[in-house]
Amino acid sequence: MKVGLVSPYDFASPGGVTDHVRYLAKALAHIGHPTQIFAPSSRRHADSDGTIFHRIGTPIAIPVNDSVARITLSFRLANQVQSIVQRERFDVLHFHEPLMPAKPMTLLRLSTLRPYLERLHRGIAVSEPARTFFSRYFPDFPLRIIPNGIDTSVYRPGLSPIRHLRDDKVNILFVGRLEKRKGLGDLLRAYELMRSRVTNARLIIVGDGPLRGSAESFISRHRLPDVVMAGFVPDFVLPRYYDSADIFCAPATGSESFGIVLLEAMACALPVVATEVPGYMSVLEPGKDSLTVRPKSWAELGAALVILARDPELRRRMGAAGNEKAQRYSWSSVASQVVEVYEEARAAARGLVESHVHDAV
Amino acid sequence: MQEWGWRGFKIVQSIIERLPRAWAYALAVLAARFSWWFSPLARPRLEYNLKIACPEASPAEIRRLSWLNFRNHAKAYADLMMLPRTRVVEMRPLMHVEGWEYLEQARAIGKGIMVVSCHMGSYEVTAAIWSATLAPVTFFAEELEPRPLFEWYRDTRARLGISVLPLDLAGLRKVTQALRDNELVITAIDRDITGTGRVMPFFGRPAPIPTGPTALALRMGTPLLPVCVYRLPDDSYKVEGMPLIIAERSGDDDADELRVTQQLLRQIEEFIRRHPEQWHVPHRIWEGGP
Repeated sequence: MKVGLVSPYDFASPGGVTDHVRYLAKALAHIGHPTQIFAPSSRRHADSDGTIFHRIGTPIAIPVNDSVARITLSFRLANQVQSIVQRERFDVLHFHEPLMPAKPMTLLRLSTLRPYLERLHRGIAVSEPARTFFSRYFPDFPLRIIPNGIDTSVYRPGLSPIRHLRDDKVNILFVGRLEKRKGLGDLLRAYELMRSRVTNARLIIVGDGPLRGSAESFISRHRLPDVVMAGFVPDFVLPRYYDSADIFCAPATGSESFGIVLLEAMACALPVVATEVPGYMSVLEPGKDSLTVRPKSWAELGAALVILARDPELRRRMGAAGNEKAQRYSWSSVASQVVEVYEEARAAARGLVESHVHDAV
Repeated sequence: MQEWGWRGFKIVQSIIERLPRAWAYALAVLAARFSWWFSPLARPRLEYNLKIACPEASPAEIRRLSWLNFRNHAKAYADLMMLPRTRVVEMRPLMHVEGWEYLEQARAIGKGIMVVSCHMGSYEVTAAIWSATLAPVTFFAEELEPRPLFEWYRDTRARLGISVLPLDLAGLRKVTQALRDNELVITAIDRDITGTGRVMPFFGRPAPIPTGPTALALRMGTPLLPVCVYRLPDDSYKVEGMPLIIAERSGDDDADELRVTQQLLRQIEEFIRRHPEQWHVPHRIWEGGP
């Protein structure tokens, strides 16, 4: 089956969807389905990891969902894309976030989007919360839940750590874009609280974003010791940061559909402290692989961090449970499930399967 | 004062990292000109060292070399300041390697690689590329003052996969582990920072030289790889690897350390003779210097 993966996001900038597309392309090719990628890119040569890449315009930055999305909105690209699609004769075109940027702008209610959606044959949601959100506006669209995948050969315990971070301190790791919805402010307050009880803790913040300045200023104003602002860390180094940590903390305040960072942390056998946002709860089993707290409750977050920081045996047990679970999210397993949806979509497109609403088209 | 110095550094760094490379270098050369004229100690010390390394050079030639030296060093500093926003894949075409086969040979031995060099060129760029393409890299480095500056150096290197370890017992233990994991450890032996070096001839005059890397290589059977990194006129980087030096034990560890370190030092002298305009050590190496 020849597959075209389409992403609206800047392929040259790091991000969840971009990584997902890159890994899925590799996994599909690995199980015998040649795959090509379509995406905008701010650089002429984006790293597509060996997959054929078609650059569809240059992206622009637009603020959405307390974040900044780098997407392309040009209508002039239609001809270019059409000619490639006609030439390559794909069996399936797989659109990632096909309603972007409409979805975050809560335009989903607009009936103008309905004809567009009707041209899609099948849908995939990464979690139950994501499906619930979508189904609120399009209750009859056939959606299947397939979680994000994780490359367990890349994210695994036993990699070479960043050696100067491996000492007698308990390292708490945060990975994510530094923006409001990721909850870094709560984590900094929680860290300040826990430092009075666990003096050998260190906070490692991986990621960059608009809140970097205010985070640095908070750290300096409150004289928080042992905070490492690592900034943007390239993919080839990131797994080593996980393997340099003892606890992973994901304090998002909401709007997370899945939380790939949780899987990365669990694959590296790290115990997780996270907020109870629906996207995270679809992955976590509190008490088994994680401790969870209410969103925006930094006092609870601090207490959970203290519990784990003081108990190496609990960390080890939760880390092992997380690692075991992460194996279920391997890309080969995810790609096989995606191929099943492709088969259904192809059948629907040929009119072989009747959908009760959109006659599967 | 140190606090203000650090703040000043951060302001300059945040400007430099946002500039195109050519502009960053232009600013660096301007700063180099300023410090070359007005540094009270660095320039006399550097010129003293250069005079020993190049005894035939006339005073005018030494002056020219020291200016080029400041200039190249300022560009290396600009490289370092740009690292937080640098993408390693884009730097790759700028690095030209000679002697790659020696690196491969050393990797095949499986006991780590002790890369031995001197204070020359943009090591961060080379180390970042090696870390991305070859194996994790560890640096031995002195702890700078003020502390936030050192932490900035360390964190900036870490995000490129480079571990930075202090020259103490804890650092040594971690380096041993890195070598056991067949990783690269980069160190320079042209200056004795900790004051524990052994006196031996360096450019024909007695100087304290660190023997730690050799001692470690002898104990672990790690191959020593002399490497020289320097800047080419088009601002790309040349990395030259030399044949491996295998430190073999004869039963007298002291004598072995001395013998192998001197062997390395002859190679380092050769690097410096070929590129004196890039060897930047504005510190006292020999007795009697300023």
